[in-house]
Amino acid sequence: MPSAQKPMRYGHTEGHTDVCFDDTGSCIVTCGSDGDVRIWENLDDDDPKSINVGEKAYSCALKNGRLITAVSNNTVQIHTFPEGAPDGILTRFTMHVNHVTFSRDGTKVAAGSSDFMIKVVEVTDSSKQKTFRGHDAPVLSLSFDPKDIYLASASCDGSVRVWDIADQTCTTSWLLLQKCNDVINAKSICRLAWQPGTGKLLAVPVDKIVELFRRETWDSQFKLSDASITQPLNVVAWSPCGQFLAAGSVDGNIVVWNVETQQCIERYSVMKHEKKYSICGLAWHPKYKQIAYTDTEGNLGLLENIGDAEKPNDKVASAVAKDYNDLFDGDDDDYLNGDAIEPPSSPKTADNEDDADDVVQPLGHVRRAVIDDDDNSLDIGLIKASSSLLEKEDDADDGVGGLSALPPTSTQQPFYDGPMPTPKQKPFQSGSTPVHLMHRFMVWNSVGIIRCYNDEQDNAIDIEFHDTSVHHATHLPNSLSHTMADLSTEAILLACESTEELASKLHCIHFGSWDANKEWTVDMPKDEEIEAICLGQGWAACATNALLVRVFTVGGVQKEIFSLPGPVVSMAGHGEQLMIVYHRGTGFDGDQCLGVQLMELGRKKKQILHGDPLPLTRRSYLVWVGFSAEGTPCYVDSEGIVRMLNRGLGNTWIPVCNTREHCKGKYDHYWVVGIHENPQQLRCIPCKGARFPPTLPRPAVAILSFKLPYCQVTTEKGQMEEQYWRSVVFHNHMDYLSKNGYEFDENAKNLAVKEQQELLMKLFALSCKLEREFRCVELADLMTQNVVNLAIKYASRSRRLNLAQRLSEMAVEKASELAAAQGDEEEEEDFRSRSSFPIIFLTRQFLCACFRPKTGFQMWLEENRANILTDNPDLNEAEVIKEGMSRFRMLTSEERMVWTEKARGGRVNDSAEDKKRKRPTAEEDEVKKNQEQKSEDTNVSKKSKPLDQSTNNRLSAFAFKQS
Amino acid sequence: MEPAEVEFLAEKELVTIAAQFSLDRIHLIGGDLGPFNPGLPVEVPVWLAINLKQRQKCRLIPPEWMDVGKLEEIRDQERKEDTFTPMPSPYYMELTKLLLNYASDNIPRADEIRTLVKDTWDTRMAKLRLSADSFVRQQEVHAKVDNLTLMEINTTRTFLTQALDHMYKLRTNLQPGESSHSQDF
Repeated sequence: MPSAQKPMRYGHTEGHTDVCFDDTGSCIVTCGSDGDVRIWENLDDDDPKSINVGEKAYSCALKNGRLITAVSNNTVQIHTFPEGAPDGILTRFTMHVNHVTFSRDGTKVAAGSSDFMIKVVEVTDSSKQKTFRGHDAPVLSLSFDPKDIYLASASCDGSVRVWDIADQTCTTSWLLLQKCNDVINAKSICRLAWQPGTGKLLAVPVDKIVELFRRETWDSQFKLSDASITQPLNVVAWSPCGQFLAAGSVDGNIVVWNVETQQCIERYSVMKHEKKYSICGLAWHPKYKQIAYTDTEGNLGLLENIGDAEKPNDKVASAVAKDYNDLFDGDDDDYLNGDAIEPPSSPKTADNEDDADDVVQPLGHVRRAVIDDDDNSLDIGLIKASSSLLEKEDDADDGVGGLSALPPTSTQQPFYDGPMPTPKQKPFQSGSTPVHLMHRFMVWNSVGIIRCYNDEQDNAIDIEFHDTSVHHATHLPNSLSHTMADLSTEAILLACESTEELASKLHCIHFGSWDANKEWTVDMPKDEEIEAICLGQGWAACATNALLVRVFTVGGVQKEIFSLPGPVVSMAGHGEQLMIVYHRGTGFDGDQCLGVQLMELGRKKKQILHGDPLPLTRRSYLVWVGFSAEGTPCYVDSEGIVRMLNRGLGNTWIPVCNTREHCKGKYDHYWVVGIHENPQQLRCIPCKGARFPPTLPRPAVAILSFKLPYCQVTTEKGQMEEQYWRSVVFHNHMDYLSKNGYEFDENAKNLAVKEQQELLMKLFALSCKLEREFRCVELADLMTQNVVNLAIKYASRSRRLNLAQRLSEMAVEKASELAAAQGDEEEEEDFRSRSSFPIIFLTRQFLCACFRPKTGFQMWLEENRANILTDNPDLNEAEVIKEGMSRFRMLTSEERMVWTEKARGGRVNDSAEDKKRKRPTAEEDEVKKNQEQKSEDTNVSKKSKPLDQSTNNRLSAFAFKQS
Repeated sequence: MEPAEVEFLAEKELVTIAAQFSLDRIHLIGGDLGPFNPGLPVEVPVWLAINLKQRQKCRLIPPEWMDVGKLEEIRDQERKEDTFTPMPSPYYMELTKLLLNYASDNIPRADEIRTLVKDTWDTRMAKLRLSADSFVRQQEVHAKVDNLTLMEINTTRTFLTQALDHMYKLRTNLQPGESSHSQDF
């Protein structure tokens, strides 16, 4: 296959450019003086991905999904690749950086700047820097020894130096180049390069030749030159195999030598223009025999199949070259083969690429999330965590990047795709903003606000109470530099980390005290750091890094002390309750693995939650822990989900609000400051484009409503179901309070019950309308006795006899259950308690009597049904009517007249009822009348039920009362 | 109408405060207010807000428009257009004066706000004088002026109406033929 040279194409605006391949060689990355980094899938890519990295980009390097660029603001920046999201600044110089390069394993970056300095920086920890001083002029280019021992550099002072990386000393120095005062005046940018693999040779472009220096001896081994080179060489680049060396000249020529034979194997004159622009970027494809190059006009070009003419025996190379041709289609070879014929190896390559993408993308995503945090200047002590997060990600990337760089000829890519451990989140105080801020909230809760100012003039703490009647606002000097605070209606609790001389301190200002000494301080033992604090009623607690929780009285008496199963995340106190969230273990894939303990520190000390797992949204962390004003534990995660302890369902956690649903923008958040159950209020501060509010201007509190994530809340049914369960959940605290002997508002409870029952009744009516009688019964099961009776009335009035009957059966059952329950308590009064319940035992008679205009016969039948039934117990309904008919006919005409008259009397009432449908009095009258009739006719109906009468009375009384 | 009376009317406007005390819902003739929870925003009439503020029982949360950026926009818009532009509140002048006098510590950049509102006011008053002038010059019989607030109307009402009356009288006296008719009224 002959070597091919494609025409150059526009890449960047005129000016210095740089080029490199990504690890797999699937795309070309260029940077230029327009400040953009472009990612080209191939040379024909008309829509390359552009990343703006600065005003001007001087150099770029790419490894392990990290794009390092040297930009005009004198910094070296990291971007993620291929997403291009900024990932921080690696290092800074006082002048712009001329060249950046990765070490072979990608863990270090070397940067040479116009301020004569060279720095080698750990990619994962930019604080680990090594500075190399010695050049007396701007540094032109750098090259890492593949064995990571040496670093070579070329400078405008004419010297090429080799440095020992470990002790930052200059190992050797040659004066090879022409001296100049600045990069722009340099004849050549002298991009030197070590031979890959062994690092045996260092190639330095020196004027029109390439000089190769031997490692360790540092003497000139040999020189490569060619007659075609008429101008100084700018760049040299080794092929990844270390066999070939390419050099680009300032007049746009590229020459390739075989280093072993020292033969020139390819010569290109890449310039079509009159003006010969110099080649300033040269990069070999990591696997194939291609060279990508850029010139100072900003053009990008590609040379393919280099050395193929000379070495056709290299099978792997030619095979992969084919792959490559397919990838970068448009090759003449492809045209010859015909587009329809695909080389069999191509899908594999594609697969490999896909795999690589699959692995890289999610990681990039995680990183982006971290960056989001960065933008918001990070909250809750995560500032440190994020750097460790980055580290982890980098580690992960290393693994992936290194492996994806494997040649595609291997059939399987054995990369680690198991779950990655998540860095543990740092401890935080609920309602605080990050510690590193100069002006921050130390706490904002339902009692007040503690602000901390830490600037040049002042280091102080401002305490302000929402309710000025609790205590007046206070201003304290922050001489101990407290970082944690909590506030209750009786005390202020502050804590600081230890310094070199001073131990970690807990400082309490008990303004509720009636004596003169309102403050107390406790020093932690040596090497013990307070990590979280909280205040309850009459007690204070702190958790330390020794995995201890120390409880104090609010007056300063040391009380209980106990061990935590893991490092604390946060604590909260309310009344007697103490809630501690800690790390239960290591989370994976971005999840945190948290546990929660809830205990009561009252007279009867007990643990309610014994270190249960704390459910969090996936890939989120905890941002707020606390209690509702009524004392129900709640917490908020970084995805804005508010969860509350549902004491009614075995102490499970129920999501009660998604604050992100209320946000307008993607980056808006709500910063929760308090939760109230009655009235249902989620108090929070809207933060535009941030996770937490600034101290100035003073943020205003907004109130969000709660919403349980029930299905189909757009429908009436879903809405009412959500309302019902929300009401239930948000009134659980009353049961808890009453159980623990606190006083609470009976009235509120009654209101809540009424609200719930009303909702049930509405749901019942809705289900009735939808002909869902089974559902009606299910709903009735949730109702109280009184409301079941109403439901029975509703059912019978809407002519659902079957339903009404079932309900009545259920009501009886319920009543007996209740009675049994009561009977257990007062056994001797069993009978009375049973009868004291207003049970409606519905029969057809009753229903008919109530709600149908009746004929005389019907009335008669009602009275005599029992008789008929006792006579013929196995008759069915139709037969009973038949039998009744025949018996009715046997009556005398006068008797029949009497019955008809009665029926008419009933009808009068009926019409009255029609007129005032809403008023149950008519109905009641009717019921009463029927009863009177019944009592009159006791002689006729042998078996009148005593229960019937009382229930009817009760029902009517109830109906009257209720409506 | 006295300016004080206009101010009295303006005091009925609702503003948001963050109470620093706890009080149940209160029932007044004008409607129910509250409940007041410490730290929570609640809407109250200006008169109550000022009263509470004076007793240091609340913190005022300035109305949305009382913001330097928004007021600059309003001022620029007012200067740009020949007609009156709608104001953020029908009592913007009164509210600014009241709130800045009593609760300037709760309003960020209070002085700038004062200046901006005054600028807007001056622009509008100039426009009003100008339109009155052209109205008189062109001897128009009627004119329509939109987006004027009560306080603004109030500044010119007494003078302009009386002046127009006088002018009418003077004009009719110049034309003796018609004067007799007008005298009959």
